[in-house]
Amino acid sequence: MSKVFGIALGILAAIGGFVDIGDIVFNVAAGATFGYQLLWAVVIGVGGIVTYAEMCGRVAAVSEKAVFDVVRERLGFSAGLVALCAGQLVNVLTLAAEIGGVAIVLQLLSGASYAQLLVLSVIGVAIVLWAMPFEWIERVFGYCGLGLLVFAVGALKLHPDWAAVAHGFAPSTGSGDRWVYAYFVVGLIGAAMIPYEVYFYSSGAVEERWGPKDLGLNRANAMIGYALGGILSFALMISAGALLLPKGIDAELLGTVALVAEAPLGQIGLILALVGMLFAISGAAIDSTFSGAYNMAQFFGWEWGKYREHAGAPRFTLAWIVMLVLAFAIVVTGVDPILVTELSVIFSVVALPLTYTPILLVANDRAYMGNHANGVVANVFGVLYLVVVLVIALAAVPLLVISNMGQG
Amino acid sequence: MMKEIDLGLGLLDHQLVDSEGRRCGKVDDLELEGVRSGRPRVAAILVGASAWRGRGRLGRLAAWIVGGRLVRVPWDEVAEVTAEVVLRRAAHELGLGRGDDRARAIVERLPGSR
Repeated sequence: MSKVFGIALGILAAIGGFVDIGDIVFNVAAGATFGYQLLWAVVIGVGGIVTYAEMCGRVAAVSEKAVFDVVRERLGFSAGLVALCAGQLVNVLTLAAEIGGVAIVLQLLSGASYAQLLVLSVIGVAIVLWAMPFEWIERVFGYCGLGLLVFAVGALKLHPDWAAVAHGFAPSTGSGDRWVYAYFVVGLIGAAMIPYEVYFYSSGAVEERWGPKDLGLNRANAMIGYALGGILSFALMISAGALLLPKGIDAELLGTVALVAEAPLGQIGLILALVGMLFAISGAAIDSTFSGAYNMAQFFGWEWGKYREHAGAPRFTLAWIVMLVLAFAIVVTGVDPILVTELSVIFSVVALPLTYTPILLVANDRAYMGNHANGVVANVFGVLYLVVVLVIALAAVPLLVISNMGQG
Repeated sequence: MMKEIDLGLGLLDHQLVDSEGRRCGKVDDLELEGVRSGRPRVAAILVGASAWRGRGRLGRLAAWIVGGRLVRVPWDEVAEVTAEVVLRRAAHELGLGRGDDRARAIVERLPGSR
């Protein structure tokens, strides 16, 4: 019974931790621009993260290797180094975006100045990372992130045209500017599959010493937790489509996002939305900070791990401190965090194939995986998503330019 | 150790762990001997940024930028090869993990690091 309970709690944390600033920005902007037409792209993105999170978790449980152990072993030093640099660039950009997002949400809650709140956000994240036991971090931020469910309630209360919503789940070429539409397709898939999630997830699995007995837990986390997390993305897009599109409101500000919950649910909705956003985004900031340190340590063979005292894994500790400093240096220039968010998502798409190719190879290698190597289903989805990822990786930067970052 | 290992996929770039279970670098390169005689064997594991020189152009560039020492771990010091390469002695006895030692001196100055 306690095992089932534990799994359920893990799933809840996975749901609450699914959405980050990239998902919020792209889903709300997509809803405000194209209504419900792009829901199918979220489905594809969620399918991708489920497929590869399950695979990374399984590889970690069976072979005791996290993503960047595998990347280096399979790609070798040089190609692995390229993957590392790409992954780290994206991690720092993502972290910068999350920290900027945290500051904006705090600003909406408190009214203090953005610059002061940026400093507060970074210090807050650093203190949590330094002082809070890891299980707590995962649970507290995951559960409080569930405040975002207010958007699901809001979406229902806005009485969207359900026929149009259903229609949106079928892939289409959409109406409106076709380059902007394509840009959003890439952004929505990229936001759902943002790579720090699998870096973090697989490293956590190695740290918690998962073995083959934990494969059920892995499947539950990936297939149920991440899949249900996708519902939050749907809710964001549907609410934005029902509320913002008819009024012609642009969704360039995070404040607009919170209004999406306030309109149908009043002040309680607004506060729940802001608190949910605060914890979801700062949870993502924590995960991406650690992901950067995990990647470095795994690539270079340093001692790593958050269960150790900080001095027990010193280069790992310095690595995450440096991550925070770099990310802070980016946002403190005053650059728009929404801009950084879009760039981080689009560039993460470019980096995805470098991460997922070695994982797919290792997950098929019986020398590593024994009886737990990929079956037919995992391979069909794995290869399918590798193709999807390659296509959107090639399209990402040209679309960014042609669509003028989705502005048309 | 009679287990068959593919050197390229099963040893190179794998994690090194010392006798105390501490992670202490990667198998950055291998020193082979007897290649000409037709009976090649692994003489040593090479560890450290300088060992990247043998790892392609980017490896040479990275080695040039980072510099540092090359640590040679004789193959006799390897206890077993599992998911990781487990060594017979503690990292410091083999000259490994120096980077972590230097970083520890910094991290230990921060309150609550232990």
